[in-house]
Parts: sequence; structure tokens; C-alpha cells
Amino acid sequence: MKRIGVVIFALVALAQLSVPGWAAWMRTQTLQKGKLWKFRIAPVDPIDAVRGRYITLSFPAEQVPRSEPMHLETPAFAYLKEDSRGFAEIDHLSTTEELNDSVIKVMPQGWWNNVQRVKFPFERLWLPEDLAPAADRVYGQSSRQQKDNVYVTVRVHNGDAALDQLFIDDQPLAQYLRGQRPPER
Amino acid sequence: MADPINHRAIRWLRAQLPELVAGGVITADNASAIERHYAAVQSRSPNFGFVILAGIGSTLVGAGIILLIAHNWDELSRPIRCALAFLPLFGAIALGFFVLLRRNDSVPWREAAAIFDVVAVGTAISLVSQTYQIQGSFADFMRIWLLLSIPIVYLFRTNFGALAYIIGTTVWVINKSFWSSVQPGEAFFWLFLLLVIPYYAIIARKGTSGWAFRTLSLALVVAGAFGLGATVDFARTDVGAVAFAGFFALFYLIGMLWQKKSESLNALALLGGLGIAVTAIVLSFESMWRLRSDVFWSQLGIEQQMATLMALLFPTAAILLAGYSFRRGRTFYSIAAASIPFVAVCARLIAFLAGSSSWAALLFNLYTLILGIELIVRGIRAESIARANFGLLVIAALAFARFFDSDLSFMARGVGFIVVGAAFLMANLLFFRQRKQA
Repeated sequence: MKRIGVVIFALVALAQLSVPGWAAWMRTQTLQKGKLWKFRIAPVDPIDAVRGRYITLSFPAEQVPRSEPMHLETPAFAYLKEDSRGFAEIDHLSTTEELNDSVIKVMPQGWWNNVQRVKFPFERLWLPEDLAPAADRVYGQSSRQQKDNVYVTVRVHNGDAALDQLFIDDQPLAQYLRGQRPPER
Repeated sequence: MADPINHRAIRWLRAQLPELVAGGVITADNASAIERHYAAVQSRSPNFGFVILAGIGSTLVGAGIILLIAHNWDELSRPIRCALAFLPLFGAIALGFFVLLRRNDSVPWREAAAIFDVVAVGTAISLVSQTYQIQGSFADFMRIWLLLSIPIVYLFRTNFGALAYIIGTTVWVINKSFWSSVQPGEAFFWLFLLLVIPYYAIIARKGTSGWAFRTLSLALVVAGAFGLGATVDFARTDVGAVAFAGFFALFYLIGMLWQKKSESLNALALLGGLGIAVTAIVLSFESMWRLRSDVFWSQLGIEQQMATLMALLFPTAAILLAGYSFRRGRTFYSIAAASIPFVAVCARLIAFLAGSSSWAALLFNLYTLILGIELIVRGIRAESIARANFGLLVIAALAFARFFDSDLSFMARGVGFIVVGAAFLMANLLFFRQRKQA
């Protein structure tokens, strides 16, 4: 009886290790091998009680010209391309699944005036607790001015999209904020 | 299975021994034999205080780990943060093996190892999610956490773990349905809750007077009520009244089935009874019976149909259980209380077929009155002032509800108050006559 318990616990422990382990492994692969895309953003800042702080991102590229609405809540696939300034935008939407480094899975939202809104599979950027409020403030200012200097980088590998970094003035967020901070007391 | 040890009774008995010896009821040898027997029994049973301390201690350590991790050290590289996320989990698993192999008989060790493991799993998942910017809702996170934690409840036979799991299912269903528009998939709540029911049944078999049974009963009833609220809200088929009536009746009946004659009313029966009384009062309001006019079974989605059937499972089970016991001549329960799902079905049919919410409400007013009277009579028979008073309280609450219910005419209110008042007088008369005879 005791031995059965130990064997079952070994299996449970394996499952407990493999869930976060597998997620980390998948992401590592995408971050190492994926194609790099830059997305312009516009942020806000709610608080998640358990998982520290994050910025909720939304993207101008989430609006796509389209003559007819897509079915809500059924995943679609967005084919990405780069615009003239090197930022990612959606070339077209499709319901046929294709896994490569230029396609991401999106959720169709509302359709209005020949514009289809979709939701990207990366909408939260986790931040260090002490940086989140400052980041939000700086971001709010920069994104309102609609400049090219605020964007996130995303690696896409075989349909898996991994949010990598947030950049202001071509510097990663933490580095940028450290440059902005008043000297330590 | 052996009955749980009643520590209070043992203390009392041991204190009585010198008196019994002095009175010549038992010999000094008998007294020391009894003393030795209970000393051995008490040393075998776990120290409740220590169990609590172990549970709280490991919860605090776990919470501290979560806080450290939520701080999200940005100085560290991704692989290092990822490795740190797994450290508590490796520790918890090692402790788990140690406890299963070497301390399997110790309740505090088992509780502490189980809580530590559950917290460590949640920590590992959330830190890896943060580190690698893995997206997903809070509900998704809770779901995977619950599924990875439930085996621990059984492996370590942990009451704290079971309690945490039930609270987790409640948090999940609230997050899934109340804070956002109701999302599909909320019916999985019942599957999650079902996974812990066998453990609860094991605890119930060990005895219905311990703290574990009481606490888990309370958690289960509260979790179930939240889940049922979400289910009927999702179904949008006006089955809430019938479903809640059945839900509390089912708990009440099961509680009464487990009730031992010599003990005071167990927690499950008590909670079921309270739920029945509250449901009866709530359903006596006319507005509860105004139905949606646009519900057609064929137009509902498959998930809504499933949710409706799920909600109706409770009244069905309650009616079957009551009917089965009644046929076997074992009416250990209050007939009025057990018949609430049946009355709710009748009221729902009246509201639907006659299109009249006031007749349905009137039926429930009558029912609540009868329920109150029956509770008083049962209280008097069992010579339990608490139960008799509970019956009176139900009737008083009914009267109070009607007083503030502006939907009824003055005429109807007047007649109702006269009926309630007369019932009160009669009940009191009966009660005191009985007491005088006794």
C-alpha cells in the first residue's frame, strides 16, 4: 500500500514538474529560433493579485481592413508582414491553420466599417514590481504621441508567439527607466 | 471503522475516576486500567494544535515564497529565474517522498508536506509564466493548479489540502463567471468539485462530529452554492429556484442519513436545513417567479442545455433520495424540509403554465409557513428548544419579508399577517403545553 502511494506520488511529481518545465522549454525554443517582429503598442496598468504586475498591451496592428466579419470566438490565423518602417502588421487573416514563423493565432473580435478587430495571443507584459508604475507613466506619454520609439519585440516560431522585450527609444524598458530614475537617496 | 476519539468525554471520565473509586462503584484496579487505556489512546491520536501549527507554518512559508517571486527580480537572467522557480517544487517533492516513506503516520507531517507541495506547484507555474511572458487568464492558471493539486489531497490524506482545493474551485468559478461575462466551460466546476467528494465521504465515514467534517461541509456547501449560481446564470432557463431548492434539500437529506441518534445535528444537515429555510423565504417573493418570456429549449446552445440539466440533477437526486427513504419507511428527516424541491417544481409549473408569478409565490408562502410549523413541532418532540426556535424564526422571517413586500395588496398582507399571528399563538400554546406535561 505504501509502495503504491510512493509510485503515484512519483507520477504526480513528474506531472507537477513537467507542466511548468514544458512551458519553459517551448518558450526557450521560440525565443532562440523564432523570427523577430516589432509591434507598436498602447498600454494600461491593472494589478494581478497573484502574478505580480503587468502592463496590458494593445496594438494598432490588431485592426485589419476586411470586407466581411469573421466568426467570433473561433481562432483565426494572422499572416504577418513588415511595413515600410520595419514594424509588423497583418497582411491578411485566414481560418486555415498554418504553422510557420510569420503566422500567429488570433481571436476575432468585433467588425465595424470594413475593419476587423482581432486579439493577439500576447496582451500582458510582466514587469518587475518596482518598475511597473514608472513604466506605465512613461508609456502612456510615449504611446499617446504615436511615435515609432515605443514597441515590443515578439519572436514567432512555428505559430508560437513569445513576447520578448519592450523598447523605448530603442532601449529595453528596464535600461531606459534606470536612465530616467532620480539618483538613489 | 473506529469512531473518532471524543477527547472531552475522556477528560471527563478520567476526572470522575477518583469519585467512582471512593463511591465503591469500581475498584482502584479498574480505575488504573481505565486510566492506562485512555492514556494509550490519547498518545496515539494526533495533537490538533500541532496539526494547525504545521498547516499555518507551511502556508506562511508558501505565501512568503509567492511574495518573493511576485517581486520578479529583473537583475537575473531568464534561465536563472526559471531555475529558481523550480527550487521550492524540488524541495516540496523531496519532502513529500520523505513523509510518505518515513512519516506516513504523522498527521502534522502529512499536512505540512501537502500544503508545501501545493503552494510550490502554483509558485513554479506562475513564476515560469512571468519569466517567459506566457499568456493565459487567471482561470486557466487556477484550473491547471487545481488539477495538479487534487492527487496530493488523497496521497497525503490532508484536510487542509482538501479545504484549499475546495476554496480554489470556488475562486475559479467566481473568476470564470462573475467577474467577466459568463464564459463557456464553467460547467467544469462540477467536475473539479466531484474530484474531492470521495475524500469528503472518507472523512464523513470517520465521524460527523470532528472539525474536519464541519469545515469541509461548510466549504463544500458554499462552493456548491457559488457554482450553482454560476450554472443557472449561464443556463438562462429560469431553473434557479428549483435548482437551489434541490441543492439544499440534497445536502440536508444526506446529512440526516449520516446523522447518529446520540449526537447533536451534524454540520451537513444543519447547513442544508439553514439553506432550505433561506431558499424558502427568498422564493416567497413574487419577483422570483417572473420568468423570461423568450426561452425556447431548441434555441439554447448545447452548453446551456447541459447547464440546465446539471442544475436539475440536484432536485432530481433530492426527490429520489427522499422518496427512496420514505418507501423504506425511514423518514428520519423533516418531511416539509425534504419536500422543498417538489414544491419548487410545482411553483415553477404554475408560473410557467398559468403565467402567474403571484400564485407561485403564494404557494411558497404557504409552504414556508408549513415548514416553520413542522420545524417547531419536531423541535418540541425532540425537546430541542434550538430547533423549535428555528421554526419560529422561519415564520418570523416570512412575516418580516411580507411586511416589506410592496407587491402584495394591503388586503393580502392583512390576511397573511393574521394567519402568521394565529400560527405563532398556536405553536407557542403547543410548546408550553408539552413542556408542562414533561
